[in-house]
Amino acid sequence: MNNINKFAAVARIKWIGISRNTMIMLGPIMTLGIVWVCKILYGINTKGELSPGLVSMLLTIGISTNICSDGFIMVGTLIAEEKEKHTLHTLMTSSITGMQYFIGSILFPFFITMIMNLAILWISGASIPLKAMPIFFIVNAIVSIISCVIGMIVGICAKNQMNASLIASPIMMICMMIPMFGNLSEKLHELSGFLFTGVMTEMTSSLATGLDYVLKPLDIAVLLGELIISVLLFLLFYKRNGYEKD
Amino acid sequence: MEEKILLELSHISKRYRTELALKDITMALHEGEILGFLGPSGAGKTTTIKIITGQLKPTGGEAKLLGTDAENMDASIYEKIGVVSDNSGIYEKMTVWQNLSVFAQIWNVKKERIEEVLKQVELWEHRKKLAGKLSKGQAQRLILARSVLHKPRVLFLDEPTSGLDPSTAVAIHKMLLDLKKEGMAIFLTTHNMEEATKLCDKVALLYQGTIVEFGSPQELCLKYNRDKRYQVLLNNHKEVILEQNPENVNKISDWMKKNEIQCIHSCEPTLETVFLQVTGKTLNA
Repeated sequence: MNNINKFAAVARIKWIGISRNTMIMLGPIMTLGIVWVCKILYGINTKGELSPGLVSMLLTIGISTNICSDGFIMVGTLIAEEKEKHTLHTLMTSSITGMQYFIGSILFPFFITMIMNLAILWISGASIPLKAMPIFFIVNAIVSIISCVIGMIVGICAKNQMNASLIASPIMMICMMIPMFGNLSEKLHELSGFLFTGVMTEMTSSLATGLDYVLKPLDIAVLLGELIISVLLFLLFYKRNGYEKD
Repeated sequence: MEEKILLELSHISKRYRTELALKDITMALHEGEILGFLGPSGAGKTTTIKIITGQLKPTGGEAKLLGTDAENMDASIYEKIGVVSDNSGIYEKMTVWQNLSVFAQIWNVKKERIEEVLKQVELWEHRKKLAGKLSKGQAQRLILARSVLHKPRVLFLDEPTSGLDPSTAVAIHKMLLDLKKEGMAIFLTTHNMEEATKLCDKVALLYQGTIVEFGSPQELCLKYNRDKRYQVLLNNHKEVILEQNPENVNKISDWMKKNEIQCIHSCEPTLETVFLQVTGKTLNA
């Protein structure tokens, strides 16, 4: 009970942090805005009817942006803010364990990332067949966890909020841009298959455009491999310095 | 009945690469006692607190807090102690009340206790205010309120009144004395000698990582009262400082008989001068 209280308290702190931080709140709102505007623009000449290719592009842009801006930025920036304001040190000297802080920190960003991916799907006007929903949710959850864990790593490495954005930028460029431009180049498309964001966007756009999509062994390996690698990296950084270097 | 020992340091040392930050620190803190750890910046005060509270590993020696060895401490120890350091922050985007209520949730403390401590630190009227809008003194009082919310048995305060205005410092002193009356043991680091004299039952003078003197402020002041001088203010507003010897005793006696003395004070050294005598340096050095 006390354990639940503790991570609930951390989650509450993070929720207040998210809801009162304009920069963080703008990320998901802008992603939805971009998808909505793109949908209107792409449909101007076709009276709102989008070709499967355009729907796929729309989803790729929205989902890859969302995964990166919610997971990396939301989690990373909030930890960095706690370091900057010395509240992280206060929490760690108040009987909160590393695990309680971890769970409490990723709880809301995880659900926000998941829900936002669904919202993007809805705004784009695409729909996923009911029978494909379980696999969509499982992949969505794994991808959201990976992005939150990467956000935790960004937070551990960053000294302040500016620094967090700086550290997250190259990771965002790779995870967001490669799937986004995968449609333009065969090489990038291949490379995108090795990224968790690439697997997610590929699966969503295939399902949403009426194609049957079965997770290939490579997709499963990429998702599980990157989940394990990100958790191991997190543990490595955490073991070395804790959440903040003394 | 002897008071319980809550904190025990035995031959603690700490080395940072080539620099020896702490050398052979040995002392104890009892229940209901305020122990002052005094020394200039860089003397090793914060390092000592970090070792005691398990945030830093000592190079040698043993630190026991509430019967637990500092090296084997886990996060649960923080349910029994309070820590206020220069690294203690407040959630600026939360209200004063929210700042305490999240910690009340962590420590399983009832809401009535939040009200009680907010009134104690005189922040009850500001409970709906955003913590980011508090003055420095109010913020420090909020940090202090949070650190005692769960009624810790030992409270660690690292320079709690540093940079605060005198009236806030006085309010904090009053609160600490009240907490001491409730039986809380307080470990206080400061370089403010007046504060230490006023609050502490015992003080340890720390210099270059070593305790150079340990005892009650009065004991230390008397121990270093080598000159035994008296300051006499006469009715004609003349101020005289006299050393204790038979000749001066007769002089004072004569003045007293003639009712010429307005006031007389003994000139025992302050902790500041004790520190100067022991180390040859001032505390602000």
